[in-house]
Amino acid sequence: MIFPRPRLFGAFQVAGVVLFLALPFIFSGLNFRRSPYVLHLLTTVGLYALLSLSLNVILGFAGMFHMGHAAFFAVGAYITANLNLTYGWSILSTLPVAAGGAGLFALVVATPVIHLRGDYLLIVTIGLVEIVKIALVNDVFGLTGGPNGLIRVGRPEIFGYRITTPRDFFYLIWVAVAISALLFNWLENSRFGRALKYIKEDAVAAEGMGINVTAHKLMAFVIGAAWAGMGGTFFASWMRTISPESFTFGESVVMFTIVILGGSGHQKGVILGAFLVMGLPELFRDFQDKRLLAYGAALVAMMIFRPQGLWPPKPTQYKLPAPFDQKYPKKGEPC
Amino acid sequence: MLSHFFEQIIYGLTVGGVYALIALGYTMVYGVMKLINFAHGELFTLGAFVGFFFLVTLDLGSFWGPVLAISLTVVGVSGITALAGRLLERVAYRPLRDSDRLAAVVSALGASIFLQNLIMVVSGAKYRAFGVDLLPTTFIQFAGQSVPVARLFVFLTAVVTMLLLYVFINNTRFGLAIRAAAIDQGAARLMGVDVNKVIAVVFVIGPALGGLAGLLVGVYYGQINFDMGQLYGLKAFTAAVIGGIGNIPGAMIGGLLLGLLETLGAAYVSGAWKDALSFVALILILVIRPTGILSERVAEKL
Amino acid sequence: MLKIYSFLILAALIGLVSFSGLDQAKAVETVKIGVMAPTTGPWATEGQDMVKVVDILVEQINAKGGINGVLIDLEVGDDGGTPKTAALAAQRLVTAGVVAVVGTYGSAVTEASQDIYDEAGVVQIATGSTSIRLTEKGLERFFRTCPRDDEQGLVLANKVKALGFVKPAIVHDNTSYAKGLADETREILKSLKIADVYFDAITPGERDFAVALSKIRAQNPDVIIFTGYYPEAAMLLRQKRDLNWNVPIIGGDATNNRTLVELAGVSAAAGYYFVSPPGPSDMKSQAALDLFKVYQERHQGLPNSVWAVLAGDAFNVIVKAIGTAGVNPEGIAMYLHSGLGKYEGLSGPISFNEKGDRVGELYRLYRVDPKGQFVLQD
Repeated sequence: MIFPRPRLFGAFQVAGVVLFLALPFIFSGLNFRRSPYVLHLLTTVGLYALLSLSLNVILGFAGMFHMGHAAFFAVGAYITANLNLTYGWSILSTLPVAAGGAGLFALVVATPVIHLRGDYLLIVTIGLVEIVKIALVNDVFGLTGGPNGLIRVGRPEIFGYRITTPRDFFYLIWVAVAISALLFNWLENSRFGRALKYIKEDAVAAEGMGINVTAHKLMAFVIGAAWAGMGGTFFASWMRTISPESFTFGESVVMFTIVILGGSGHQKGVILGAFLVMGLPELFRDFQDKRLLAYGAALVAMMIFRPQGLWPPKPTQYKLPAPFDQKYPKKGEPC
Repeated sequence: MLSHFFEQIIYGLTVGGVYALIALGYTMVYGVMKLINFAHGELFTLGAFVGFFFLVTLDLGSFWGPVLAISLTVVGVSGITALAGRLLERVAYRPLRDSDRLAAVVSALGASIFLQNLIMVVSGAKYRAFGVDLLPTTFIQFAGQSVPVARLFVFLTAVVTMLLLYVFINNTRFGLAIRAAAIDQGAARLMGVDVNKVIAVVFVIGPALGGLAGLLVGVYYGQINFDMGQLYGLKAFTAAVIGGIGNIPGAMIGGLLLGLLETLGAAYVSGAWKDALSFVALILILVIRPTGILSERVAEKL
Repeated sequence: MLKIYSFLILAALIGLVSFSGLDQAKAVETVKIGVMAPTTGPWATEGQDMVKVVDILVEQINAKGGINGVLIDLEVGDDGGTPKTAALAAQRLVTAGVVAVVGTYGSAVTEASQDIYDEAGVVQIATGSTSIRLTEKGLERFFRTCPRDDEQGLVLANKVKALGFVKPAIVHDNTSYAKGLADETREILKSLKIADVYFDAITPGERDFAVALSKIRAQNPDVIIFTGYYPEAAMLLRQKRDLNWNVPIIGGDATNNRTLVELAGVSAAAGYYFVSPPGPSDMKSQAALDLFKVYQERHQGLPNSVWAVLAGDAFNVIVKAIGTAGVNPEGIAMYLHSGLGKYEGLSGPISFNEKGDRVGELYRLYRVDPKGQFVLQD
C-alpha cells in the first residue's frame, strides 16, 4: 500500500486524552471549588476548537482566506433555535438541519465568489458576516427576534438524559470535538483532502493534474460551513439565548486567529490555538481593564516567535513502494 | 427632490473623502508588502487623540492663534502617527516579512487589539469632545444650492492630500522606487532600490494619512473615542478593496464610491440596512471585476 | 515535540498558579460580593464608573468594620459588553464564591449571565439592563435597580403628548435596548392617537447622520424621538444645528450622560429633552453627597451617568440585606422582596416588587438649558 494509514494514537496522546476527560472527576475528587468555572472555560475552548477545526478545512486544508465563519455558525444557531422554539424539535434532532442549512447557505453565497483570490475572498467573507449580522438585527423573515435575539432555547437530551450542568456540556462539546477531529483527520488523508492540499500549494498545477479546483474548493467550503452550523446548535442550547452580538466579525476573527496561531492545517495545533486564544484573556483577568492590552501583545509576540503557528503540521511523508524506498541523498552529498 | 439628491451627494462625498484618506494607508502598505494592516484603523484613532492632545489639552490655539496651532497640530499628528507606524512595522511586521502572509495578518490583528486598548488605558474609555466649531458652520451658494463650508473643507482637504500623494508617487524618483518595489521587490532590489527604505517610507506616509483622517474626523464631528477606528478601519478597507487594493487612485475612487453608496442607501432605501447594501455592492463589484474597479497595476498576481 | 510539551506544562503551571492564588483562604472572615461590569469593550466607560463607585462603597464599609464585623471582599468580573464574555465572567464569579452580584449594564449581556447565577443560587441585581423580559422569567433571585423599558416608553410617550407634539419621527440605533424602547414608545403613541411619520435606525459608532436628518426633515416632523445612546444623540444634535433646523429632539435615559453636552457643544445641546431617572447632579440624599465627595476627590468629577450610581444602590441593598438576613442568598432574596421597606438609596427610595423590578416612578423629564446644564422639568 502506497499510503499508509496515519498513526492516530500514541501512548502520550491516549494518556493525555484520558486525563483530560477525567478532569471533572479529578476536580470533584479534590473538591476543587473553581471547577464549574474551569469547566465552563474548557467548554468554551471546546466550542471554539470545534468551530476552528471546521474553519481549518477551509483555511488550513484548502488555503482559502475565510474570515467570516461566524456567519455559518449563526445560521446553524438560528435554525436550531427556531426549530426548537417554534416546532418543538429536540435539540439534537436539529443537528442535521442546522448542518444542512449552513452548508446550503455556504453553497449559495460561495458559488459566485469562490474564484476570488486571497485577500479579495477575505474581504468578501468579512462582508458576508456583516450582512448576516445586519440581517439578524433587522429580524429577517421574522425568524431572528431582531436585536433581542431568541431566548429559552431548550437543552439537549441523549436517551432521556437532559444535559444541563457545566460538566454535561463539557463532555458533550469535547466528544463532538473528538469526533470532528477524527473525521477531519480521515478527510485530510483522503483523496479529497490531498487534492485540497495540492490546491493550496499550487492551484494551477492541481488543475493541470485534472483536479476540478472550483468544485473541490466549494466542497471544502460547504463541509466547513456545515460543521460550523452544528457548532451553532451546541452554542444555542448551551447559552439558551442567542443574539446578534454573538455572531460578529470579531467572532470570525477569533476563529481565524485560532487556526493561524495554532498551526494552519494541523488539527492538534488548532486545538492548542483554541486553548490559548480563549484562555489567555481569562488568565489575564487580574490585569482588569488592561487584560486585552496584554492579550494583544501576547498575540503579536507568539506570531513573531512561531510564524508558522505554534504547532504547525509536519510535512506529509509517504512511504514509497519497496524498490524506490531509499533515502534521498542529503544536500551536498554526492549522488 | 433634486436638491434633496444634491444634499445626499455632498454628504456622501464628505464621508467618502475620509474613507478614501484612510483607505490610502491600507492600499499603500498592501501594494508594497502584500499585507493587510489591520492595525491601521487604530493609527487613525491615534491621530484623532494626538490632535485632541494638541488642540484641546494643550490648547495651542489660545497661545499661538488658530493658523499656527492648526499647522503645528497637523505636523504633530502626522509625525506621531508616522512614528507609531514605523514602530509597528519594526516590531510586529518586519520579523514576519518572510513568513506565511497569514502570520502577519494575525500579528496585525494582535497589534490592533493592543493599540486600541493602549489608547483606552492611557486616555480613558470616555468619549472626548473637541471644543465645538473649529470649522465654520456657514454655507456658501453653489449652483443654486447651499453647501456647508465645513463639509467642503473636509472634502477638499482629503482631495488635496490625495492629489499630493498621487503626484509624489507618479512624478518623483522615490515614487518610482515605491512603484517598482510594489511590482517586484526582488527585481527592484537588483535595480538598486533600497526596499527597506521604501517599506519604511510607506509605513510613514500611510499611517500619517490615517492619522490626518483621524484629526479631520475629530475636528469636524467633534467626538472621538478609543474604538472609533474599528468601524472606520473596516469601511476604509472595504473601500480600498472596491477600488482595487494596492492601487492608489483606486483607493480614492473606492472611498468616494463607498461614501456615496452608504448615503444613497440610507437616503433612498433604509438606514437599518445601509451597511448590508454597501457590502452587497462590494460583493457584486468583485464578482464582476475580481480585483476591484481599477484592477491591480501595482500588485501583480502572486 | 519536546518544546511543545514543555510549553504545555508551562501553560498548565501558569493556570494552576493563577487559579490557586485566588483560592487562598483569608485570615479574617469575609463575604464575597461580585461586580460584573463592562470594563473593556465599547461600554468600558460605563463599566469602569460602576466599579469605581462600588470600590469606594466597599472601602467605606470595610473602614467601619464591615457588615456586622464581616469584611467585604469584592470580586470584579469584566463582561466586555458581550454575552459570551459575560457567561465566562459569571461562572468565574460564581466559583469565586460570591453570594450576590451587582450588574450588569447591557440587557443582552445580563441575559447571558442570568441562568448561570440562578442555577448557582446567587443573587443578581442588574443596574442598567432595562429590557422588559429580564424580570418576566420568574427568577427568584434576580432584581434590578434600574427601571424597565415599558415604564420608560410610557413616560416618554406621555411627555411627547404633554409637550404638545403631534408628528413625531422615531429614530433608534438597532441595539436591543434602543429598538425595544422605540417599539414600545411607538405603540403607546399609537394608543394616544399620535402616529409617527418616520421610523428607522442609524448605525451606532458612526459619526455622520446628516443623511438620516435630511430624510427626516423631508417628512416635516414636529419632534424627533431618539431612543439610542448619548454619543449618537450628540451627533444628531450637532448636525441638526448645522442644518439650521430647530426641531426639538427628545431622548431616553441612555442619553443621560454629561458627556452629551461636551460632545454636542452647548449651543447645539440647548433645548434637548430627555426622560431619565435623576442624574448624579440631582441626587441630594446624604449618602449620595458623601459618595460623590470621595468620588470627586479621587476621579475628578461626578460619575458620568446615572447607571454607575445605580450600581452603588444595588451594592448598598445587598449590604443591607446581608446585614439583616446573613450570608445566605435565599435570605437575601427574601429580604429584598419583602423586608426592604422604603430603603433610602443614593437615587431615592428603593423597594422591589415580586418580579424583582424596582417600584416607583423614577422617570423625570429633563431639558438642557442654554448653559448646558441638565434641568429637571417637573
